[in-house]
Amino acid sequence: MTTALRDFIKNPTPAELELVARYGAQPEDSRRERAFLAFAETGLPHRRMEAWKWTDFKAALKALETPAAASAKDPLPHEGALVFRFTPNGFEAPVNMPEGIRMVEQPGMQAFPGAENVPLGALAAALSGGGKRPATLIFEITSGNLPRLHFVFSGSGQASFARIVFLIRSGASLNLSESYLGGAGLTSTVLEFDLEQDTAINRAIFQRGGADEALAVTGIAHLGANAEMTQTTLSFGAKVARMETRVVHQATGAKLNLNAAYLSGRGFHTDITTNVRHGAPSCVTRQLTKGAVLDGGTGVFQGKFFVPRKTGQHTDADMQHQALLLEDGAQVFAKPELEIYADDVECAHGNTCGALDDAQMFYLRQRGIPENQARAMLTEAFIAEALGKADDSVREVLLAEAQNWLSS
Amino acid sequence: MDCCGGTTEHEDDCGEVKVKDSIDAKTVEAAKALESENYSAGFSTTIETDFAPKGLSEDTIRYISAAKNEPEWLLEWRLKAYERWLTMEEPSWAMVRYPKIDYQGYYYYAAPKAGAKYASIDDVPKEILETYEKLGIPLREAEVLLGVEGAVETAAEGREKPRVAVDAVFDSVSVATTFRKELQKAGVIFMSISEAVHEYPDLVKKYLGTVVPQSDNFFATLNSAVFSDGTFVYIPKGVRCPMELSTYFRMNAENTGQFERTLIIADEAAYVSYLEGCTAPMRDENQLHAAVVELVALEDAEIKYSTVQNWWPGDEDGKGGIFNFVTKRGDCRGDRSKISWTQVETGSAVTWKYPSCILRGDDSVGEFYSIAVTNGRQQADTGTKMIHLGKRTKSRIISKGISAGKSDNTYRGLVSVNRKAVNARNFTQCDSLLIGDKCGAHTIPYVENRCASAQLEHEATTTKLSEDQLFYARQRGIAEEDAVALLVNGFVRDVLQHLPMEFAVEAQSLLKVSLEGSVG
Repeated sequence: MTTALRDFIKNPTPAELELVARYGAQPEDSRRERAFLAFAETGLPHRRMEAWKWTDFKAALKALETPAAASAKDPLPHEGALVFRFTPNGFEAPVNMPEGIRMVEQPGMQAFPGAENVPLGALAAALSGGGKRPATLIFEITSGNLPRLHFVFSGSGQASFARIVFLIRSGASLNLSESYLGGAGLTSTVLEFDLEQDTAINRAIFQRGGADEALAVTGIAHLGANAEMTQTTLSFGAKVARMETRVVHQATGAKLNLNAAYLSGRGFHTDITTNVRHGAPSCVTRQLTKGAVLDGGTGVFQGKFFVPRKTGQHTDADMQHQALLLEDGAQVFAKPELEIYADDVECAHGNTCGALDDAQMFYLRQRGIPENQARAMLTEAFIAEALGKADDSVREVLLAEAQNWLSS
Repeated sequence: MDCCGGTTEHEDDCGEVKVKDSIDAKTVEAAKALESENYSAGFSTTIETDFAPKGLSEDTIRYISAAKNEPEWLLEWRLKAYERWLTMEEPSWAMVRYPKIDYQGYYYYAAPKAGAKYASIDDVPKEILETYEKLGIPLREAEVLLGVEGAVETAAEGREKPRVAVDAVFDSVSVATTFRKELQKAGVIFMSISEAVHEYPDLVKKYLGTVVPQSDNFFATLNSAVFSDGTFVYIPKGVRCPMELSTYFRMNAENTGQFERTLIIADEAAYVSYLEGCTAPMRDENQLHAAVVELVALEDAEIKYSTVQNWWPGDEDGKGGIFNFVTKRGDCRGDRSKISWTQVETGSAVTWKYPSCILRGDDSVGEFYSIAVTNGRQQADTGTKMIHLGKRTKSRIISKGISAGKSDNTYRGLVSVNRKAVNARNFTQCDSLLIGDKCGAHTIPYVENRCASAQLEHEATTTKLSEDQLFYARQRGIAEEDAVALLVNGFVRDVLQHLPMEFAVEAQSLLKVSLEGSVG
C-alpha cells in the first residue's frame, strides 16, 4: 500500500515519505483518506504556494523526528482550570468533569470540511489518533459557568498530530487556553469551533517551540448569531511556526476580536495567518497583530477579510498589523489583504513596520534609563496592546512571558 | 465571455446595478461618463495594411526583424526570448478571469502599406493624420506651435511655453515623430526604437533589456520576441528636456496585437517628462497589448512618466476590449535619482500592470500615483513594486481605485526593503470606492522588510491623514469629513495637474470623484 501512497505526493521529500508511511499505518477510513489526499495535493506547504510564500515547511522540515528535545515549561496557570494534556502517545483528561461539559473521544475520523484550504490542518486531521490518543476529541459546552479549559501540547521527539472540536451550544460560553510547548520535529494541531447563537469564547494561545522544530496550529471557527469570539495569541515561533485562524461570520451580529503578538529571536520564524469571511450582514471584526523581531528572526503576518456581495453588507472590519524590527538582520513580511464585493461596508487595514521611535528612546534615555531597559519598556508597551483582551486568568502571565523575552 | 465574468462573486449579478445613496451623485456621473457607450475613441481607420503571417513562430519573428531591417544581434536577441517564452506559463495569480488566449490567432505585425516612416509630415497618409487629429493629437508641428511665436531658445522659456513632442505609433510602427530636429539641438534623442537601433546601436545595446530582462515574465518575454515599435529617448548629461515628450499608441488593425517597447535613459542630472496615451477602435474580438517600458535614471536624473490608458474596454456585456498585459519598470541606478509614475487607467477589458521602481542609488526616490476606474465588465489588477536597495531611499504610493458596474478593481503592490537600504522610507495609501452593488474592490499589499532602520507605513483608510493637516483644517472650522476629503482630493488633484494639457480632459472628469463612501 505504501508504494501506491508514494505517488500521492509529487517528488516527495524524506519528511513527506515519513508522513505517507504514517498514514499507511493508520486503519483504512474514507474520511481520513479524503483529508490526507487534500494534504497530498500540495505536500508540505512551500514557498511556491501563494499562501505559504514566506513560510516554507517543505524546505525547513528535514525529518519528522528529532532527538528527544525537552519541551518548554508551561507558563500558563493550571490552578482552577480543567487541564487536558496531549503527549505524543497519550492523552490525559481530568477525572471529574463538571456539569455543562461533555467530552467524547472519537476513535474514528470525523469529516473535515474545507481541507484544501489548510494543508497542515488536513494533515493533522488525517494523522491524529494512534496509541492511546483519540482521532477526534469532541467537547460539547452547554454552560456559561465553566472553569477555564486548559490544553497542554508537548512532545518528546516524536511528530504529533491532534484534532479537537468544540461545540458551544446556544447561550453557553467558554474560557479556553492552550499551550504549545514544542518538543517534536513536527507538530500540527487543528481545532474547530462551532459557536451557536448568543455564545462566547475567549481563547488564549501560548506557543513556544525549538529552533529545529516545525509547528502548526490551525483554528477554524464558525460564528452564529450574536456570537462573540475573542482570541489572543502569544507566539515565539520555532524553526517554522504557523498560527493560522480561519473564521466565518455565519449569522448577523457576530463579533470577532482577533489579536496576536509575535516575538521572533535569532533562528526563529513566526507566522500569523488569518482569514475572516463576513458571510452574514452586520458582523464586526477587530484585528490587531503586533510583532517584534531580533537579528536573524523572521515575522510573517498575512491577514485577509473577504466580504461577499450578497451576505456581507454592513460589515464593520478593521485590520492592523504593526511590527518592530529591533535589530539589523531582522525581517518582517506582511500581506494585509481585503477582498470586497459589498458596497455598504467599512473595511480598513493598516500596516506599519520599522524601528522604535528615536524620540521616545531619547525621552527615556535622558531620564537615566539604560538603553536596553528603555528598549524593553517601549517594546513591552507596544506589544501589550495586542494582549489586552486575553482573559484575566492568563493575561498577566502572557505579558510576563513577553517581558522576559524582551529583557533577556 | 458569458454574462457573468470576473471572479466567482459575479456569478449571479446579471441584474441592474443599484447605487447606495451615500455615494456622491457627481461621482456616479463621472464614472458613468466613462462607460463604454461613451467611448469616443472607438472609431476605426480604413487603411491598407501589411500584415505578418498570422500566428507566432520563429518565422514571424524573422519576418518582423527583416521588415525592420534589423541587425543580426537583435534578431538573435528576439529568438532567444522566443525560445524561452515557449517554456513559460501564462501567469494566473492576478485577480482577473478571461478566456484562454489563442496566441496563434493574432497578427504580430501590422503596418500601413505606405511604409513606416515618412520624409515629411506631408507624406504621412491622410487617413493616419486624420485619425490622430480626431483623437486630438496634432502631428504637424505648426499646429502644435499655434499661438506660440517663434521657437523657444532656452529651457526656461520652454517651461513657460510648454509644448509637446509626439511619437505616434500606429499598430506596429511609428508613423511620425515631431520636433526631432529641435530636440536634437538640446542633444535629446527622441525617435522610434526601430530607428534608434540603426542610428544609436551602442546606446540601445547598452540599455535594452537591462531593466526588464528578456526572461522577466511571460508577457515581457513575449514582447522581447515580437516587439514591433515604441519610443527611444536619451537625455544627455545635465540637460533638462526642453519640452514634454509623448507617445500616442493607436491600435487599429483587427486581430492584431500591439507589442511596443519603450526605452528612456536620463543621463546624469538630466530631466524628462514623458507621457503616453492609448486608444483603440471598438471591436468585438479581444485584442492583446503586451508592452514593455524600461526607464534608466543615472545620478541626479529624474524621469516623470505619465500614462492615460484608455484602450477600448469592451462593451457593457464584456464583449471585446483590450487585454492590457504590460511590464513597466524604472531603475534608479544613480544616487539621488528619481522616477515617478502617474497613471490614469480607465480603459482595457483586463489590465495586468505594475509600474515599478528599483531604487538602487543611494537617496533615490520612487513615486507611484494611480487612479484606476473600472466600469462594465472591466477587470483591473494593477499596482506597483518599490524595491529599496540603496541607502535612504524613499518611495510613496498613492492609489485610488474606483469600481462601478460589474467590474473588479484590485490594487496589488509590493514594498521590499533590502538589508542594506538603511533608513529607507515608504508611505502607501490605497483607497477604494465601490459604486453600486455588483462590483468588487480588493487590496493586496505585500510588504517585505529586511532592514531595521526602515520605516514603512500602509494606510488604507481616509481617516489616517496627517494629524497636523487635519488639525489645521479643523481649527479653521472645516468639518472633519470635509477636511479629510479636501486633503485627499487635494493631493490627487495636485498629481493630476502635472498631466499635460491634451490628457487633462480625461483626467479632469475623474477629479469630480469624491472619496465619500470609501470602503477602505
